[in-house]
Amino acid sequence: MTKPIYIHGGGCISIQPTFQPDYFFDTFHSYASNPVPALEPDYKSLIPPLQLRRMNKSMRMALFTARQALLQAGRENVDGVIVGSGLGCLRDSERFVEAILAEEGQPLNPTPFIQSTHNMAAATIALSLGCKGYNMTYVNNASSFESALLDTLVYLMEHPDRSVLVGGVDELGDRTTLFWELADYLKKDGSDTGETAAEGASFFVASAERGESALGKVTAVECCVQPHDVEDFIRGFLRRQGLGVDDLDAVLLGVNGDGRYDAVYESVARRCFPRLPQMVFKPILGEYDTVTAAGVFLTLQVLARQSLPPALLYNGIHPARLQRILVYTQRRGRNHGLILLEQ
Amino acid sequence: MNSPTPIAVTGMGAVSAIGENVAAHLDSLSRCEHGIRPISNMDTCHRGRLLAGEIRVPDDELYRRLGISPGEAYTRSTLLAGLAAREAIVQAGIDLHDGHRTGFISATTVGGMDATERHYDNYLSSPAYRHFIPTHPGGVAAEQLAGLLGVPGMVTTISTACSSAANAIMLGARMIRAGVLDRAIVGGTDCLSRFTINGFNALMIYADDHCRPFDEHRKGLNLGEAAAYLVLEAAEREVAPMRVPLAYLTGYGNANDAFHQTASSEHGEGAYLAMEQALHVAGVAPAEVGYINAHGTATPNNDLAEGHALLRLFGRKDDLPPFSSTKAFTGHTLAAAGAVEAVFSVLALQHQLAFANLNFSEPIAGLDIVPLTQPENRKIDHVLSNSFGFGGNCTALLFSKAHD
Repeated sequence: MTKPIYIHGGGCISIQPTFQPDYFFDTFHSYASNPVPALEPDYKSLIPPLQLRRMNKSMRMALFTARQALLQAGRENVDGVIVGSGLGCLRDSERFVEAILAEEGQPLNPTPFIQSTHNMAAATIALSLGCKGYNMTYVNNASSFESALLDTLVYLMEHPDRSVLVGGVDELGDRTTLFWELADYLKKDGSDTGETAAEGASFFVASAERGESALGKVTAVECCVQPHDVEDFIRGFLRRQGLGVDDLDAVLLGVNGDGRYDAVYESVARRCFPRLPQMVFKPILGEYDTVTAAGVFLTLQVLARQSLPPALLYNGIHPARLQRILVYTQRRGRNHGLILLEQ
Repeated sequence: MNSPTPIAVTGMGAVSAIGENVAAHLDSLSRCEHGIRPISNMDTCHRGRLLAGEIRVPDDELYRRLGISPGEAYTRSTLLAGLAAREAIVQAGIDLHDGHRTGFISATTVGGMDATERHYDNYLSSPAYRHFIPTHPGGVAAEQLAGLLGVPGMVTTISTACSSAANAIMLGARMIRAGVLDRAIVGGTDCLSRFTINGFNALMIYADDHCRPFDEHRKGLNLGEAAAYLVLEAAEREVAPMRVPLAYLTGYGNANDAFHQTASSEHGEGAYLAMEQALHVAGVAPAEVGYINAHGTATPNNDLAEGHALLRLFGRKDDLPPFSSTKAFTGHTLAAAGAVEAVFSVLALQHQLAFANLNFSEPIAGLDIVPLTQPENRKIDHVLSNSFGFGGNCTALLFSKAHD
């Protein structure tokens, strides 16, 4: 089995001003549109303009939040970069398909092809930091970030003296949004079904040592495409950590307002966590494959500040203490993920 | 510290332009029969002009072979992967429901792009193909196949360009050693797409003739399509009883060149670091390597950088073990390449046979290293297999003979 890892710094770009260091989910932007583009920082504050000019949105969001995480951790570099991205650099993929359909056979600009590659965010971070170590990218839909996190747990068990940047990034496309509407993924005005599509990036500096100022630790992570019984999946995960439901102080649920799939959370909340404070994050951060990374960012803030933003409380039960929080998410009934975070 | 769990390769499967199963690949490799021809199936303006390693089995036939109903949405990469993964599972003879934790770790570069590019405008105008919309993401193939093949455990997908499958193989071994899995079905798949053909063509590294790995006059790559999977198991009595593994995966390493988005540093720093790590993890000295299946894409940049890295690792030209790139047989199969060549590496160990590097005539000036130009029977205890990709992603795997 894997061992816990400690998180020393984090950075987050989302559809809320999470990139501001003092932001703690107290005020919210509300959006009438769907999809919702990320609120972007002044990238130049952390990325040299010459590098920035050549970067697509995934690359700049990933590098900016990776640098924020390094700053908070007080580190210059890491030994490896591990990234999850459900759809990779979507806009450049669209751009290159459109170029082929319009003018195949003519000389095409190769830049969108190069920058459509799914590992460009991880490569950009490595290139910018000069990090020659382990570099990995997971693209498994809504378990992409969970896969990256599991790899990080294994990597830091193999190399207990090293540190890693781990994170998730996804960007919105243009044509892809039309496809999602046709596939009936998106919430329309006032509808009980559909997701609010969004984008963002969250990165963390992790190591196997607590050090002086860890925000918290990730104790374990597991995912399953389609568990036979979600309650068994959750209880089994906790049991493998030597825990029961009563050992948790709160849960963060991936409720996203899509009535077709939120019933899973309702049922789990009722059967497994009736007495626990339940929090949600997707109603304010939207839905994308790696939004759970932003959920982890939020949970680490809660653990570090020992305070729970009231607006995120789902069931009105206030926490007695905040030492151990379970994150449970799924998307469209698939890719169920569990992440256990502790103080 | 305990010595690490040995990782046994107990099954493998492959489909590419030179064969629809592993035995056919061995036959083609032994007879130096490549699968590179003018593009004939793909709907592209490059049809008949550019050369590629196409698999001559249409999608509807793949549906039939896998028993998938024609109304379901499976992209070609997933279908090819289904054939290869099924062959690997059958050879390993594993029961996926015997209580051992089995993972499925796949690799892709462009996921379901072949359907997306085909229906990009159709989706908007007609409902006929819209059931393919959900097949675009890179993770769909692994999730569909885990369902189709009945793999109950962990499922994930790696995408690190041309080193993707090698990384999936490495991850399987690491997950077993970490105690997360008991066994893993690992590999990668990529069908040909207009996206990748035009991408490499736009980069001016798509050869206008048969590719010539490690040759002074190499002009770029030919793409190919393929899928290959291996079954990795913890080589302990309770997991693999009474069976002799095909080979062991003893070493692996990944490093980043951190030099350029697409180009390798001239001296192949990342490649060197990856190979060095693979040997270190295995505890094998460079002199013990009996054959190297090189990445050897036949692009000017890769082969020069890889050649420099090989010379740096092995010291000097005369100490370089026999090496070849098999890309001229299959084409560069992108996310599948690392798995296809892992299968070739295991075949090399099983049959004590090093494969030929086709189309070579003149060594690269300044490197002066000469690959094998004919298949050669020889004593091979360890095979080093290289896979390098965009974003400076460099991975090396070391496979070792089963008696070790």
